Amino acid sequence: MRQYETLFIVNPDSSEEDLKAVATKIKGVVSGMNGIVTSYDEQGKKKLAYSVKKQNKGYYVLMDYVGSADIVSEIERNMRLDDRVLKYLTVKLADEVDPESIEPAKSEPPEETESVETPEEEAQPPEAEESAKEES
Amino acid sequence: MYDRRRRRAFPRRKVCRFCADSKLKIDYKDAKQLKYFITERGKIIPRRISGNCARHQRQVTLAVKRARHIALMPYTTIQPH
Repeated sequence: MRQYETLFIVNPDSSEEDLKAVATKIKGVVSGMNGIVTSYDEQGKKKLAYSVKKQNKGYYVLMDYVGSADIVSEIERNMRLDDRVLKYLTVKLADEVDPESIEPAKSEPPEETESVETPEEEAQPPEAEESAKEES
Repeated sequence: MYDRRRRRAFPRRKVCRFCADSKLKIDYKDAKQLKYFITERGKIIPRRISGNCARHQRQVTLAVKRARHIALMPYTTIQPH
């Protein structure tokens, strides 16, 4: 089993029901292929860096799941057929994940780094190195 | 004055930001942070200027390319004229 994450953009004009329909459909594909959805995170409407299918905004959704390798092609095939999905990107997070250690939905699996993300935001002043070196 | 001249002779060695702070993670979903590594035109800033080490520069490059694909970052900025 491998762990993947797919970030995809749903058409921002679609209604609440459409968003739900996409969610159930994609989740259904994962479970239909014996995969486990570990998180389904709707990140909301964001501005796109460039227009995709004449849209300047997009509704981003990040989904984490565990499954075999052919699950990815099946999900991507479904997304390609669905008009509501503008774009998608799948990234492999980990090889060889033990399916027993994964709890479905909500709780993050241990190898996920997502939860560490919050504290690093304030650690950002870019040129803090200025005072670091004093050549003598 | 003297200090100035020496500085010109030996330009200050930049330290890789990600090596200095292991808390920093390179993530393609974090466009805000990756913005430091692209120019106004959207090009990736080379290692000799950004100061990244080879390993982290590769990771930054990959992250920027992924972010571009999913429209979190621009491939280019159109200059109106």
